[in-house]
This record gives sequence, C-alpha cells and structure tokens, in this order.
Amino acid sequence: MSKSFHLEIIASDRIFYKGDCEHLVITAIDGLLGIMYGHEPLVTSLPTGELKYMVDGKWHYAAISEGFIQVMPESSIILADSCELPEEIDIKRAEEARERAEEQLRQKQSIMEYYHTQAALNRAMNRLKISQKHFK
Amino acid sequence: MANIREIRERIASIQQILKITNAMYLISSSKLKKARKSLDATTPYFEKLQSTIESILEHTPHTRQTYFDRRQNVPENKRKKGYIVITADKGLCGSYNHNILRYTEQKLSDSPNPDNCYLFVMGHVGRMYFQNRMKTKKHAYVDGEFLYTTQNPTLYRAREIAEIVLEKFEKKELDEVHLIYTNMINSSQFEPKSVQLLPFSRRHLGKANDGTMKKLPKASFVPSPEEVMAYLIPNFAKGIIYGAMVEAFCCEQQARMTAMDSATNSAKDMIKDLSLLYNRARQATITQEITEVVGGANSLE
Repeated sequence: MSKSFHLEIIASDRIFYKGDCEHLVITAIDGLLGIMYGHEPLVTSLPTGELKYMVDGKWHYAAISEGFIQVMPESSIILADSCELPEEIDIKRAEEARERAEEQLRQKQSIMEYYHTQAALNRAMNRLKISQKHFK
Repeated sequence: MANIREIRERIASIQQILKITNAMYLISSSKLKKARKSLDATTPYFEKLQSTIESILEHTPHTRQTYFDRRQNVPENKRKKGYIVITADKGLCGSYNHNILRYTEQKLSDSPNPDNCYLFVMGHVGRMYFQNRMKTKKHAYVDGEFLYTTQNPTLYRAREIAEIVLEKFEKKELDEVHLIYTNMINSSQFEPKSVQLLPFSRRHLGKANDGTMKKLPKASFVPSPEEVMAYLIPNFAKGIIYGAMVEAFCCEQQARMTAMDSATNSAKDMIKDLSLLYNRARQATITQEITEVVGGANSLE
C-alpha cells in the first residue's frame, strides 16, 4: 500500500470528503492528472468532470462541477461548486436540465446566454455520464 | 376614565396585530432554521476558500493579470467604485436594513467623489431607498437593471452577479468593487461588513509578522499562472458573493424573528395593561350604577 496524504474535498453546500487518500485522479483543463503522496506544490482549476480517489485500495468516484485544487506534498484541497457521488445524482433532474439546455440552444441567444446554456448542458451531461458509468 | 367601548376596540385591534406578528414570528423562525442549515453547510467552504486563496497567492509569482490591476494611474477622485449591497426584500426586521443602509451611506460619504460610486443593490428595500435618494441628491448611481432578490440564495444567482461585476471591471467601467453585507458575529449580534473584491489585492498577504516578504517555494500552475488566475478569481468572487448572500439571508431571518418576537411580547403587555384599564372602567360604571340605584332607593324612603 502506498503512503497516503490528507485530502479535503469541499463543495459549496457541504464537506464532501475529509480524510486520507492514497491516490487522486482529477480532470484538469488539459487532461487527467494523478496525484500521490509527495506531489510537487501545484494549483490548477478543474472544469466540470470526473474525479476519483483511492481510499484503502478502493476507488471512489464523484461528479464535480467547476472548482480548483491546491496540491501540497502532504495534503490537497479541492474546492468546488458541487460534488456528488454517482448514487446521489438525481438522474431525472439531470435529464430535465439537459433537455432544457438543449431546447435553449436551439433558440437564438446572445453570446453570454449561449455560454450559460452550454455550461448548464455540460454539467447535466457530466452528471448523467458519471451516474451511468458507475451506478447501474 | 377612558370610554369602555374605546378600550374594547383598542384591545381587539391589538389582538389582530398580535396574530400577524406572531404568525410572522413563526414563519421567520422556520425560515431561519433552513437558512441556518445552509449557512452551516456553506461556512466551511467560505472559510476554506479564503484561506486557500490566501495560501495560493503566497505561492503565486507576480502576474500581470487584469484582476490584479490596481489602476494606480487613475486619480483617487476619478476612480469608479462599485458597491454590491445586500439588503432585505421586506421591512419589519428591526434594525437590519437600517444598519446596512447607514453603513453604505457612510462608505459613500467617505469616498472622495460620491458621483463616481455605482451601487448594485440586492433586495427590494435597499433598491427603493437608493433610487429615491438618487432623485433627491443625485449622488451615487444605482444600476436599475440589477434586479436580484436575497431570498433563498443560490449559487446560480451568485455566478450571474459575479459575471456582471467582473465584466464591468474588465471594461473599465469600474475600478474597484466592494461587497457590503451583514456579518453574523453570533446568533444575536450582527454587523455590516465590507470586503474588497476587485482589484484582487494581496496587500495584507504574503508578509510575515516581521514585515519581510516570505520566501515560499513557488507552486507550479497548470497550464500557466495567468490562465489559472483567470479562472480562479471569477470562481473566488462567486464563492465570496454566495457566502455573503447566505450569511446575510440568515441574519435577515434572525433579525426578523427577534423583531417579531419583541413585537408580540409588547402587544401582549399592551393587552394586559388595557384589560386592566378596561376592567377598572367596567367596575367603575357598575359601582356608579349601584350608587345611583341605592341613592334612588334611599330617596324614596
């Protein structure tokens, strides 16, 4: 078993995870990033995506939307807008959000509105993807 | 001695008001429970956000990012200052609105040129107040299109607000952005507070206690410090605005609950006094009638 480091994942509405972790894989702007004990200090932003972390040799998955991570050799902090386990995702709500966003994208919108709907669509798709992948 | 009928009407009307204030008390206490719950859920995020950003900035190399631009070439009396003010949507919450409005007034009069102040007011009470004020004194411009409620704060709303002010800052329509909200010291004490959002400063950061700059190992930024900062700061602004909204909403409910509780209590006191007065008046009339009857009977003998 590899050495573990302290990980904190804090969403805007709750503390998602606080404790030791052996291996963390995040989706950064330009691809996946694996973090283990003793990683160099690093700061990067996290777009909407997937996150997995290993505790006691077992992988845990989560859907994360917009946040950032601060990595220190012995600890890491993730601050995100929202973070959910696959089984916590409300599929129906995500489905509705996706349909709403797709509907809006068909309309003519200002650039700002377009970005907003795209971001909303992105979040919904991410939720659906992760819940389908890990929770059946 | 007051008229019996008058007193009775007065008691009836106070009882009506008592019902209203009591209902408002119950409503706000249930809302407070909800607000308190979301405040408790958000506080760790809010605090961690600030401390993490601080520690990130300590590791940040000097960047020429737009959000750090202090615009020192703009003279003090020409700086356009933006204030996001969080007030309540309704009145009847004790001194909550009054405090935050007075605090904002003071901020405005402290600034060298109040004509260059732009207010973004959340909540109906504050908006009405400043719009009326604009008609009479013509200081401080209120953005009329900035229509946001303070009820049930959501992250979505915070994101929109953050986008509006960041865009104005980038376009140089604003040189500074402050956030004024009510801070909860403990469950019965609040205090208006202001936080500077932009330009992003690290004046108070990066310095050790002995006044020298800390030499910290530089963290690496992926892909580049500029890009990370361009993403991080809007995120930070959004988080701060959201946290402030949640805290202010909780304070509002708490203030309303306290105000309505004391209103209910004083209504009860008034009813007590008035019923005493009423009974006394009633007793007086009865006594008088008896005296009259006895007097009449006596005169017959």
